[in-house]
Amino acid sequence: MSVDFVFYLAINTLVVIAVSPLFVSLIKKVKAWTQGRQGPSVFQTYFTLAKLLKKEVIYSPNSSRIMRVTPLVTMAAILVAALFVPLVFVPEPVGGIGNIILFLYLLALARFFMALAGLDAGSAFGGMGSSREMSISAIIEPTTIIVFAALAFVFKTLNIFEMFTLNVSTGASSPSIQILIGISLFIIIIVETSRIPVDNPETHLELTMIHEGMILEQSGRNLALMELSAAVKMTVLMALLINLIVPFGLMTTLTLAGLLIALVVFVVKGSILAGIIGLFESSMAKKRFFQLPSLFAMAFFFSTLIIIIAVFS
Amino acid sequence: MIVELFSLALIVLLAGTIFPLLAASSDRRVVRTISFSCIIIASLLLAALALQVLLSGGREFFTLYQPFPTISLSFAIDRLAAFFLLIIAVVSACVALYFTEYIEHMNGQSRRNLLCGCTSLFILAMVLVVASANTLSFFLFWELMAASSFFLVMYEYSQPDTRKAGIFYFITTQLSSLFILLGIIVLFIITGSFTIEHLTAASAPLVTIAFLALFVGFSIKAGIIPFHKWLPYAHPASPSPISALMSAVMLKIAVYGLVRFLLDVFTPDLWWGVLILAAGTASAVLGIIYALKEHDVKGMLAFSSIENIGIIFTGIGLSVIFTALGLPDLATLSLLGALFHSLNHAMFKSLLFLTAGSVVSATHTRDIEHMGGLARRMPVTSALFFVGAVAIAALPPLNGFASELLIFISFFTSSFTVVEPLLKVLLFICLALFALTSALSAACFVKAFGSIFLALPRSPESAAAREVPRAMLIGPGILAVACILLGVCALQIFAFVGFAVPLPDMVLVSLLLGGMAVLTYAVLYFTASREVRVSETWGCGTLSQQASAEYSGHGFSEPLDIIFSSIYRTKTTNERVFYDQKNCIFKEGKGEIRLLKVFEEYLYRPIALQSLKVAGRVSRFQNGCLDTYLLYVFITVIAMILFLGWFA
Repeated sequence: MSVDFVFYLAINTLVVIAVSPLFVSLIKKVKAWTQGRQGPSVFQTYFTLAKLLKKEVIYSPNSSRIMRVTPLVTMAAILVAALFVPLVFVPEPVGGIGNIILFLYLLALARFFMALAGLDAGSAFGGMGSSREMSISAIIEPTTIIVFAALAFVFKTLNIFEMFTLNVSTGASSPSIQILIGISLFIIIIVETSRIPVDNPETHLELTMIHEGMILEQSGRNLALMELSAAVKMTVLMALLINLIVPFGLMTTLTLAGLLIALVVFVVKGSILAGIIGLFESSMAKKRFFQLPSLFAMAFFFSTLIIIIAVFS
Repeated sequence: MIVELFSLALIVLLAGTIFPLLAASSDRRVVRTISFSCIIIASLLLAALALQVLLSGGREFFTLYQPFPTISLSFAIDRLAAFFLLIIAVVSACVALYFTEYIEHMNGQSRRNLLCGCTSLFILAMVLVVASANTLSFFLFWELMAASSFFLVMYEYSQPDTRKAGIFYFITTQLSSLFILLGIIVLFIITGSFTIEHLTAASAPLVTIAFLALFVGFSIKAGIIPFHKWLPYAHPASPSPISALMSAVMLKIAVYGLVRFLLDVFTPDLWWGVLILAAGTASAVLGIIYALKEHDVKGMLAFSSIENIGIIFTGIGLSVIFTALGLPDLATLSLLGALFHSLNHAMFKSLLFLTAGSVVSATHTRDIEHMGGLARRMPVTSALFFVGAVAIAALPPLNGFASELLIFISFFTSSFTVVEPLLKVLLFICLALFALTSALSAACFVKAFGSIFLALPRSPESAAAREVPRAMLIGPGILAVACILLGVCALQIFAFVGFAVPLPDMVLVSLLLGGMAVLTYAVLYFTASREVRVSETWGCGTLSQQASAEYSGHGFSEPLDIIFSSIYRTKTTNERVFYDQKNCIFKEGKGEIRLLKVFEEYLYRPIALQSLKVAGRVSRFQNGCLDTYLLYVFITVIAMILFLGWFA
């Protein structure tokens, strides 16, 4: 393992933890503006996390060890998954880190634990959230894998690091493919991070909630971990989209100046994408749960279109 | 050395079969323990032998019995056979360990001795099938395997369900034998010998017939949809350790048969691969969709076996396609994926069946809706089941993920090496379905683990459940460790046996996972509040939480039920009676949702009815009258003479 890679582990983890609450707040801010409100400060998520860390943890007497380990496992799985998507600096891949399928399944690992924790306390809300989350994740899976297969097909590699390096060195692939990859990945971000029209991250209303229902029983530092891991997951997926479509600023050799520039560029690009997500959410209504498969069918259509275009062009 | 070890293992297994039968009248624990010890010893011998062959890579051939020059019972152990011997050995040893205690909690007094003997015979038969060097002994021991497993399924024959399951199993398994016999006879017609060797004499239609017959035969035994129906009947009916053996090992013997004939006898065409791939993908998707709906824990595991066999067939199908396209590297990769998944499935499925057996014996029910809350009552069993669930849901870093990743990688890599567009589209469709399968299996096992082990107990039996004795934890414990090691060290294991596979280094990933968890814990330890309180959480305004208000297993899978409703083919009927004529004031009514057993009603039943009809006609020949039979003999003799006169 090279020194570069060790640096990469530290830089990527720190950056992703530092910037992800910002993006979450930004989306909230944009949504507030479109609704004509002032909205909370862009640093509100940091304050919320700090507040949660100070609170005590309450476990239901019915809950088992699953409830106690889930926040740690979720956070660890998502942080490792975050290592698979370089945010600002792409080193040489080591030992298969960056494998796109493993990335997907690390997210699934976190989801598995979260869904079990939702069932653990025995409350009907948690169970409902788990059930819906697992259903949605199952039916979006074919789309996700086809998008990833399309990426593998376009870049002729399975490794996200190599995709990024290729993107930086040889420039982007044809614009049509890029637009389609962008649309498909955008839909995946919306679905995977529980946003409108799939889920509403704002409410605890039983009719709408999925992700929030699942973590309803969490409290204190555990809740902080769940919130932070959700934010990190969103940032990582956003980074995947950003660095595939607009790789400008991404660094392949480690220098301090380059790192600072790349960081600033990434935060700017991420903020723009967060704004787009906020606007997209504001322009949509939450879909009925059983209408979601048709939305996913559309995503599936876009992702197969990438392949068809790439195969026959 | 190999031959001696093998013979010794056979003798020990034979002793394990005969001894409890001799002592059939004495209902003593020691008899059964000796029989199971025989199985364990034989398994250790077989494992040693298998590892030796796997690492040295030789091929050992020997003949046991040769009554005629062309007909012999001979055996050959090469790496493929050794690999499957290893699967048999590991699972049998763990199952036998578990069984020694489990059998003492079963009903049936001295009849249990027969169960021991049959188990040993069953394992012996499977060992011999795998080691067979010619089609004749292959078929002979295949039949022995089928017969002994039938007795095992029928153990609780006094229950009507078991009898039905047993007969169903017997008929399907004989059907499978029939097809295999057909395949073997056609092969004999082509080559004129019973040895398993590469076909040189090409006669295309016959070869195709032989392949199709063997494929159908092995598919029936492996439980490929639409021949799968025996699994969800036979598994719930038989004792849990037997289910573990049948699901984890016997299905793999069918996989072994298919792989053996594909590699050593046939030179497959492209469409064979497409056929196997399609059958595999269909079984994988439908198997897991049916598993989601099942609330009998063993029935659910049976459907999930169908899914996993589907995954294995997907790997084999890919391998055949890539071989036909001249991509040997990819073909090896996907075949390795299929074989590795066979091993992994054997590990986690026997683990799940054994722990499910513990749960069933602790709660006296197989219905997951009547379980719940067992994680606190059976902590070790729940931890073991959890390992199995994570492995089968294909989550990193356990073994189920490692083998599915191999198949995923071959799918992904095929996208830029396979040139033909049509084939490429087919591969992409199968890839999407394959991904759907593993996501659904995660949902299925969240449901299973959640309903069985989490939240509040939903029945008094479940509330009174206690942890099982230690002997019933060691066997599954070994399997759980195997699941973890096979997953974490997958890359190193492949390197050790001499295959370079493009897997990520799961040791590194596991270390990273552990490191991140420790780091998170440390950061929290120093920055966050450490106060913990155990107290009632918000339960939507109820005073105390009721088990009846929990999300049930049915409720959990309801969204997927609705999304896949076209596959489940449920029939909804409701009748309502109203007081008034405008249908406003409701008086009474009833509603019913019934799950249609599609394959049974639209495939099995028509075939069964047709064959009954034909049998009715044929039976007219058999009128019980001696004169008529003499006439038949006479006609036959005349026909023979004429035939020989003209053709010979």
